[in-house]
Amino acid sequence: MPSEWVAEYIGGDGFAARILYDEVPAKADPLGEKNRLILATGPVTGTLWPMSGRTVFISKSPLTGIWGESHVGGFIGPELKYAGYDVLVIEGRAEKPVYVSICDQDLEIINASDLWGLKTDEVSAAIRSRHNDPDVQVAAIGPAGERCVRFASVIVNNARAAGRTGMGAVLGSKNVKAIAVRGHQGIAVNDHERFVELANDAHRRVRQNPQAQQMHKYGTWVLTAVKQTIGELPTYNHRTGVFSGWEKLSGDYIRPRYTIGDRACFGCSLGCKKVNYIREGPYAGTLEEGPEYEGLMAFGSLLGISDFPTALRANQICNRLGVDMISAGSCIAFATEAFQNGLIDSKMTGGIDLEWGNSEQALRLLDMIGNRTGFGDLLAEGSREASRRIGRGSEQFAIHVKGLEVSGQDGRTHRSIGLSHATGARGADHLRSLVTVDQLGYQEVAAKRWGCDKLPEIVDPYTEKYKAAAVVETENTYCIRDALIVCWYSVSWPPIFWMEDFAQMLPVLTGVSRFGERKNLIEIAERQVTLKRLFNAREGISRKDDTLPKRFTVDPMPEGPGKGQKVNLEPMLNDYYRLRGWDEITGLPTEETVRRLTLEWTHSHSASS
Amino acid sequence: MLIVDQTKCTGCRICELACSAKKEGVFRPSLARLKVVRYDDLGVDIPNVCGPCEEAPCVEVCPVYAMRRDPISRMTFLDEDKCILCKSCAGACVNGVIRLDTSRMRILKCDHCGGDPECAKACPTGAIQYATAAQASVLSRHDKITGYLREIRRTAQTQESGGES
Repeated sequence: MPSEWVAEYIGGDGFAARILYDEVPAKADPLGEKNRLILATGPVTGTLWPMSGRTVFISKSPLTGIWGESHVGGFIGPELKYAGYDVLVIEGRAEKPVYVSICDQDLEIINASDLWGLKTDEVSAAIRSRHNDPDVQVAAIGPAGERCVRFASVIVNNARAAGRTGMGAVLGSKNVKAIAVRGHQGIAVNDHERFVELANDAHRRVRQNPQAQQMHKYGTWVLTAVKQTIGELPTYNHRTGVFSGWEKLSGDYIRPRYTIGDRACFGCSLGCKKVNYIREGPYAGTLEEGPEYEGLMAFGSLLGISDFPTALRANQICNRLGVDMISAGSCIAFATEAFQNGLIDSKMTGGIDLEWGNSEQALRLLDMIGNRTGFGDLLAEGSREASRRIGRGSEQFAIHVKGLEVSGQDGRTHRSIGLSHATGARGADHLRSLVTVDQLGYQEVAAKRWGCDKLPEIVDPYTEKYKAAAVVETENTYCIRDALIVCWYSVSWPPIFWMEDFAQMLPVLTGVSRFGERKNLIEIAERQVTLKRLFNAREGISRKDDTLPKRFTVDPMPEGPGKGQKVNLEPMLNDYYRLRGWDEITGLPTEETVRRLTLEWTHSHSASS
Repeated sequence: MLIVDQTKCTGCRICELACSAKKEGVFRPSLARLKVVRYDDLGVDIPNVCGPCEEAPCVEVCPVYAMRRDPISRMTFLDEDKCILCKSCAGACVNGVIRLDTSRMRILKCDHCGGDPECAKACPTGAIQYATAAQASVLSRHDKITGYLREIRRTAQTQESGGES
């Protein structure tokens, strides 16, 4: 890896974008041999800085045909660093099922025919047993990845998921069942004493942060009540934003009844993971971590189900089979609404009469999707493709952007996420530029960051004004987050760490003094966003694709605090392109911007030119 | 002594990082003098530390009396001058926290950082604490009260700032 890449990209997403653009040709089949599966870490991974356990899977997505990435916690990222690697790139295709086994400098590709067909937890156990080492960290695909379910996930440590955009399907198409890593080396940093001092101070800040304390207790379940209050809890396939059954999906309700333990990822003092156990009812005996708020939404309010045991069981199935919980729930919601509107019938579904609020049905469909059986085989293509094949106007019920199903947000009652969904490189991405200060009303934080003159509009979730500026600034911070790589709970709700904190830490960690200036970090962030955009442009993406479903731009919010609200996307898009240095008509990076960000090398790989 | 409350351990392994940072000057959990054992299938994490043991197998097994117990602190320690690297202590340790560093061929033995252990300071949940044996049960009861008080304070803070509890 050329050393110039460090100064230009820092690591993580940055390195991966550089490699993916370079090595995967335009229009390559995501499930074909030319695609690459990249597992990338950053300079912070495996060090004491909070929360340094994250790592990222990047590839061309089989679900969307454009940029795909998915971050995951757990312990595999640090282990890869301790083995002596920063980035792992998998190319081509194995003739028979294999797994990649790394132990310090030994890298082997080992026969996995006896592992093929196993669920993700069984794979981890089998590999650890085979190597006689319980500390081998394993990233595994389940039956869903093997069958190339378009939104198949990669599972680490049994319950941590690289969920979205079908990274598991890419591994499955390459016949790679798992990546197993064991590392015994260490990571030396530039100024050890000073770095430990900064890191210890950072951990203290995490522990004292009130929102972090909330998250230690409830994880992301804190969001259910908040979203119900502002009318942004996606319900009945995103038709509305309030759900009568919200209380049983809130942290306050769930924790005392079901939670038996708190867990964390590597290097994290926040500890948001919850181990839950169902004592009675049809899913009695279910012991599993999670789900996240997104899971409570996807197999809860989105389907009209108000039952935590259902959501936990769904989470367990998604973990075992290796399926993205958000996309799966959204596809089931799509099918249910299409059925309720007479566009599909029980002949197509194989005898299932799809209805809202039916737990058993939802879990059955999830199982069918993960195994590609019956009607599940169609839904496993994703809601965009499924609706295309069904036709009859069912497209209106497929709630996605660029093929990636919309997650637990609604732009009508949170304008900035509308812009994030429309412009995200992955598609409807809730993680690359989600602004939280407007969603949660953090007036003081907003005033400090953006000035009092932007109040009240910038914290008003129901207006488009100033939102592009907030989205761009947040997106830049998250790009650095994704390059370091740290967990996003350290930079949101409201941020514990801002760009300035990373500017202080990075030179101490890496010895690269240019990282000490915020403007340089911003340039690195802009380069990352623009490079991902160029990747998508090469696949034919432009302004015409930066859209939202009509459900958000045309259908007004039917009820709740946000009743009547719609997203007016165009002015926000204009602002966003202007701030990014992209052409307002095409939505593509201008030549000037490409030069400013030293991305001229992309010209030799572009589809046009 | 180091006291462990495994119900509080979240498996974050910050203790291993803090230990290797202090003792080795790098982040290298494989050389940490303690270890968190994680059970992903059960959702349980257990820190293994050098307490030390009341009856210490490492001391009993050492053939040259290199592994001894300090008469004042009661802590087991390794006299490196006498150590012949037979590695019996590493095999005898029931917690598995006496390690063999193969890159420099030496035994790694926890020494409680001379009386101010890094792991206890770094642990975010108080799963690892450094106290006398007599204090152990008092700490446990005291912890429950401080836990309630912290929770009351947190709820009051959240309600003041207008959030949900």
